[in-house]
Amino acid sequence: MADLSTMIAGLKAISPKEELKKAVSAGKKVIGIMPYFCPEELVYASGMVPLGLWGADMQANESKRYYPAFICSILHTVLEMGIKGKLNDLSGIMIPASCDSLKSMGANWQYGVKTVPVINVSIAQNRKIPAGKEYTASQFKKVRDELSKISGKEITDEAIIDAIKVYNENRKALREFSFLAGKHPEAISPADRNAVIKAGYFMDRKEHTKAVLAISAELASLPESSFRGAKVVTSGILADSPSLLKIFEDLHIAVVDDQIAHESLNFRTDVPIIESDPIMGMAERIAEIEGCSVLFDPGKKRGQELVKLAQDAGADGIIWIMTKFCDPEEYDYVPVKRMIDKAGIPLLAVEVDRQMVNYEQARNAIEAFSETLC
Amino acid sequence: MAADIFTLGIDVGSTTSKCLILGNGEEIISSAIIPAGTGTSGPGRALEAALSEAMLSRQDIAAVTATGYGRNSFEGADYIVSELSCHAIGAHAMFPDAKTVIDIGGQDAKAISIENGKLGSFVMNDKCAAGTGRFLDVMARVLELDVSELAEKDAMAGRVIPISSTCTVFAESEVISQLSKNVDICDLVAGIHASVAVRTASLVRRLGLTPPLAMTGGVAQNAGIVRALSKELGEEISVSPLCQLAGAYGAAIHGFNKLKGRK
Ligand code: SF4
Repeated sequence: MADLSTMIAGLKAISPKEELKKAVSAGKKVIGIMPYFCPEELVYASGMVPLGLWGADMQANESKRYYPAFICSILHTVLEMGIKGKLNDLSGIMIPASCDSLKSMGANWQYGVKTVPVINVSIAQNRKIPAGKEYTASQFKKVRDELSKISGKEITDEAIIDAIKVYNENRKALREFSFLAGKHPEAISPADRNAVIKAGYFMDRKEHTKAVLAISAELASLPESSFRGAKVVTSGILADSPSLLKIFEDLHIAVVDDQIAHESLNFRTDVPIIESDPIMGMAERIAEIEGCSVLFDPGKKRGQELVKLAQDAGADGIIWIMTKFCDPEEYDYVPVKRMIDKAGIPLLAVEVDRQMVNYEQARNAIEAFSETLC
Repeated sequence: MAADIFTLGIDVGSTTSKCLILGNGEEIISSAIIPAGTGTSGPGRALEAALSEAMLSRQDIAAVTATGYGRNSFEGADYIVSELSCHAIGAHAMFPDAKTVIDIGGQDAKAISIENGKLGSFVMNDKCAAGTGRFLDVMARVLELDVSELAEKDAMAGRVIPISSTCTVFAESEVISQLSKNVDICDLVAGIHASVAVRTASLVRRLGLTPPLAMTGGVAQNAGIVRALSKELGEEISVSPLCQLAGAYGAAIHGFNKLKGRK
């Protein structure tokens, strides 16, 4: 067990700030990757270093010159870091237009942060039809060309295929880890689970895969779990707040699976390898992803997916981690809640925010919810 | 038969501490309400007051269950349970038929469904002070009234002056501008109550309106609010004189059930 905790502590210690510094001092160029579903493999294929940007737990002040206060804290805090020069070492930042708030992020960044160029990323709304896939692929090809300019070298299809393989292996390792973490809540706390996944946004993917596989090997060798607390599946955009995850731990609540954009939604679906057109394979992956509020889902399959996740994982309930001021999530909540209610699975929604300092209300709600589950 | 098992429930709220001692899980032996909440001497004083009224010492109590906003900082609890669970248990003991409980406290408002005598599901207003006891405190201060006088004023209202703002700060300035028009304070109080009722009713509707309804928490002592809420929801609402003690009552029952090995 000492081994396991040392390995997890190693991943918890990964700091994006340090990783950025390290890469730059090694003479590498770093590209910031904003949510959601940017073609990160292309950065890897270019020989540059991708760095995930999902905001930070901090107060945002300067960003309010560009965004009103009622825009989600992920965008506020990324912009804040940019304006304050904390991301000046980046050679570019990929910004998609996945939601109404993100649509203006590129323009806000251009005005507020002159030092780091924007690489706009577009994903087809009708992502599943052939024309939609073609559109997504064509946009990703534009991204490839922009990355080529920044890196100063051509990005070949071979390099892209290699990068896709690296990422697919990482996704596979994370899927296995997530499964084993769900089976061993006595060994992996919700904060540990999140830290293992989150580290991948800042580390070299091959290194991350190695670390995740080592942790999974330890988990696989453990005897059957003695955990007696409540088991939940989480859903939402982001669930990495240490204060929130500490509440789960304090109340003996295990996260046995998730439908979180920052977690499983990013590694549940692989990129099929299309030798003749690997970028089309990346568009195919986007078409396949289910259960995320920012990817067009007219039949709200998200609800069925979530019910199935909870049933398959033997969860006692579902906790919807609502990112404050996130309209795609708020719109999804109503129809998805109906489906969950119909399936008879207890559901709790708690609102969180990167700038939140007092979690007492959330604790209150989660504690009461867990009392109904036991 | 005299009680031989005493359990104590203490509800450490944001503004008030409530304590109740129960004999054999049924008989209320004593209770105390101290208008000072978490982080003050209130919880300790409430505990002492309830013990002394019951002529018992801490050693006589078989289980202490803490609930309420300050439950985790209360020292010496055998059990710690959320106030949502305790209000559900307490309300069920007071009104065994109630299916939905409305609890308006100092800082938040909750709609709770009761299933098998326990907490089923719930919806909370955790965003702002509007629709909570705090809102009524602010409004009473503007009107130069004590909160305890609001119900009486409401009963004398000839009409309801609507308060449209959904935020405490804006509602306060709306009330001030009404005052400057020399409107009848009673009508204004009725308007304030109606605005709390509208917000609380929306919580109940989100939960699912399943009668019979009961109301707990300190604000339930205000008959004006109960009347406005009942009108808004189109349902009778039962209130007990012990409404403010519902959380502590539920906590004491919870402690007894735990001792008896019941869930
Ligand atoms: S999807 Fe929601 S959380 Fe994500 S950037 Fe848009 S508003 Fe913010």
